[in-house]
Amino acid sequence: MNNLDDLRTIWLSAKTDGLPDPDEMKRIVKKFRSQKLRKKWLVIVMSCLLSCLIMAVLAVMHFKFITTYIGGGLMAASGLLLAFTNFRSLKRFYELDDCSNLEFLAFIEQTRRNQEFYYKKTMVAILLLCSIGLILYLYEPGSRHLLWLACMYAALFSYLGIMWFVVRPRMFKRDAEKLEATRKRLENISKQLN
Amino acid sequence: MIAFEDLYKQYSPQIFRVCLGYTNNRDQAKDLVQETFVSVWKSLPGFRNESHISTWIFRIATNHCLRAIEVAKRMPAAELPFDLTETQEESPEEKLTFLYQCIAGLQETDRVIISLELEGLPQLSIAEIVGLSSGNVRVRIHRIKEKLTQKFKANEQFR
Repeated sequence: MNNLDDLRTIWLSAKTDGLPDPDEMKRIVKKFRSQKLRKKWLVIVMSCLLSCLIMAVLAVMHFKFITTYIGGGLMAASGLLLAFTNFRSLKRFYELDDCSNLEFLAFIEQTRRNQEFYYKKTMVAILLLCSIGLILYLYEPGSRHLLWLACMYAALFSYLGIMWFVVRPRMFKRDAEKLEATRKRLENISKQLN
Repeated sequence: MIAFEDLYKQYSPQIFRVCLGYTNNRDQAKDLVQETFVSVWKSLPGFRNESHISTWIFRIATNHCLRAIEVAKRMPAAELPFDLTETQEESPEEKLTFLYQCIAGLQETDRVIISLELEGLPQLSIAEIVGLSSGNVRVRIHRIKEKLTQKFKANEQFR
């Protein structure tokens, strides 16, 4: 084993069978492409649909209390804000495929900053709008029966409490750890290239 | 405009070998080939011939390799232990496995560089793909080659 040619002979002896044929790969590629950002698109479409539905209900139905209209408006606004935030981040992901590692590192850093901003500001605004909206919206139907109202609000506050104090911090921690691992790895690779 | 099918037919075996050399795992290598061609499919309409198409595809593939966090978790760079005491003549498969093990002991970027070199890419293209000067790539290839041949020699001594 004295030269690169010997190593190359060994290297080229690797079997490359078992790879999909071109037609199959085209099918995989099309499926994979739509799958990757499907979750984001789903959030955008669903939150827009829900906001439209709430506004349609407010326009068609006649409610007695102003709180119902304010609550519905706030919930619709939170849905639209969620859709807008996700839509803005989509463009960045689409541009990611053909970039250098340094550009990718910058992308990770920007994503980390965006994530922090989302957690501290945007998510708080969305949850606040949605929570206040829901509390106000449910006041009218619940006000007819005091027991109903108490039960409904108890369930609602429990749900909101879990979302605020358990789900939200956990989600942030998990995403932040994932990003941090990628950032460290990319930084290590950048060091190797210097 | 180059057809996606033609690119896939021409480059997928090479990309697969590079990914396999990097990951030392057939399933992960297949996943990386798939991810590479998803990116190629998406970016092909915007490809403006600023670099050679093979350089472009290998750059996408090696970036996917370097960013694959699952590979990094499974295979931290470590020196290869020489506890190989078998006495039979090595089969080609065993030699290949040993080569992959030796490559696994290199730094991530060195793994990419030697894979591209063994795949027969010109050193200028390798430099463009990894983002180093061609002089630097030449020196690194020389050092990696030395390391690999030493390991192969040591392995032969133990046989």
